[in-house]
Amino acid sequence: MPFSAISLLQRLFLACTLAVAATAVQAQSKPNPNGAPDQFVLAAANEALNVLKTDGSVKSGDLARINQVVDQYVLPYVDFEKTTRLAAGRYWRQADARQRKALAEAFRGTLIRTYSGALTRVDAGTAIKLLPFRGDANADDVVVRSTISQPNGQPVHVDYRLGKEAGLGWRIYDLNVEGIWLIENYRNQFAQQINQNGIDGLIDALNQRNK
Amino acid sequence: MTKSAIPRLAVAALATALLAGCAAPKNPDPRDPWEGFNRGVYQFNDTVDRALFKPVAQAYDYVTPNPVQSCVHNMFLNLGDLWAAANSMLQGRGHDFVNTVGRFLFNTTMGVGGCFDVATANGAPRIPNDFGTTLGVWGFDQGPYLVLPILGSSTVRDGVGRAGDFAGNIASASQIDNVRLRNSLWGLEVVDTRASLLDATDTVDRVALDPYSFVRDAYLQRRASLLRTKIGDDTLPDYGDDAKLPDYGDDDDAKPAAPASTAPAAAPAK
Repeated sequence: MPFSAISLLQRLFLACTLAVAATAVQAQSKPNPNGAPDQFVLAAANEALNVLKTDGSVKSGDLARINQVVDQYVLPYVDFEKTTRLAAGRYWRQADARQRKALAEAFRGTLIRTYSGALTRVDAGTAIKLLPFRGDANADDVVVRSTISQPNGQPVHVDYRLGKEAGLGWRIYDLNVEGIWLIENYRNQFAQQINQNGIDGLIDALNQRNK
Repeated sequence: MTKSAIPRLAVAALATALLAGCAAPKNPDPRDPWEGFNRGVYQFNDTVDRALFKPVAQAYDYVTPNPVQSCVHNMFLNLGDLWAAANSMLQGRGHDFVNTVGRFLFNTTMGVGGCFDVATANGAPRIPNDFGTTLGVWGFDQGPYLVLPILGSSTVRDGVGRAGDFAGNIASASQIDNVRLRNSLWGLEVVDTRASLLDATDTVDRVALDPYSFVRDAYLQRRASLLRTKIGDDTLPDYGDDAKLPDYGDDDDAKPAAPASTAPAAAPAK
């Protein structure tokens, strides 16, 4: 009887410690869109990395699960409509509301496929490190620079471009991997498709690849 | 098939691909005036790659354990550091030169002949450099985009740069007297290079709407950003902070595609 009482106490203690630790981790890593942009990116990236490291089904390349993780841990910090709008350039103005929504949705599918391959390679040694923030901290359009390192591999240089919006705070809208900006790399392809097949043609082409 | 038939066949295939690619492009890019020709060579390269280089690289990737692969890859990168250091010197980047030579010495000794990149692990990441970038630092314009047979994406300047790189690497490779060993190492380097790009090319296959312009735009962006880090702020040799941000302004009428906007989305899907 005393034996089980002790183990009960122990379990209770353990549960409390875990709960406290969990809240501590959460409080520490919750990204604050109204704080400094670089800390916001760091917190958001670490939050996503932690999930990816502990989740087995992401590692095995389960696309449905990756989608879910992206929805929950990445998209809240990303201004996806802006990304799509800038990639479409002046053609965005020709698109109606339905087309805009469909285009953003289709483009999102493409980008998830772009990065799902990289996400499956995240392991326990993957770490993100911020490079010193250069530029005006009071601007509402900034670039946060970082390197992502893997054990026994070359670190990859990744920049995030963020815009500050009233009420929403910082949100990421463009990404640079090793000198290649994401939006820039899709502008020509978007224009090419729209010139040939119109906006609906572009949406179809993106969706075709998402299957 | 006799031996001499293979190159002839390759030439014939290249010629066909070139003719096929000479159709006028629909969405011309000012940086790519030779798009028709380039698309032909791209097509040719892609065919050769799918038939030869990619399967060999995949087989290598399949049979070779990861630690061995990364060891081989690191050793080639380590040797490449010598030529990168020489280019840093040519560009007057003494700090980069000293760092890269230091990396080479550290990796060659403590990293067991370059097998482990201990320098990166100790906070001295690789400083990529090549002769095309050197020419850019010296003020040569990059010229039109150019797809080279087998070698792939380039520009006129970078094509000349690659010839320089080739000569530079020959200079270090000629230290090996045994011809058979030298040729085997050269073959291994080709396979290793292709294997290290497997992920990248798979990504392009998966996500690009038009693989040709995807690869072209990525190549030109990457080269431009590499050059910017070299001519940027010299006191901070890691990454120049002058990284010019792309301007996504809505009214970029400077692009030649602009006139087409008068009759844009109206074109029906056939």
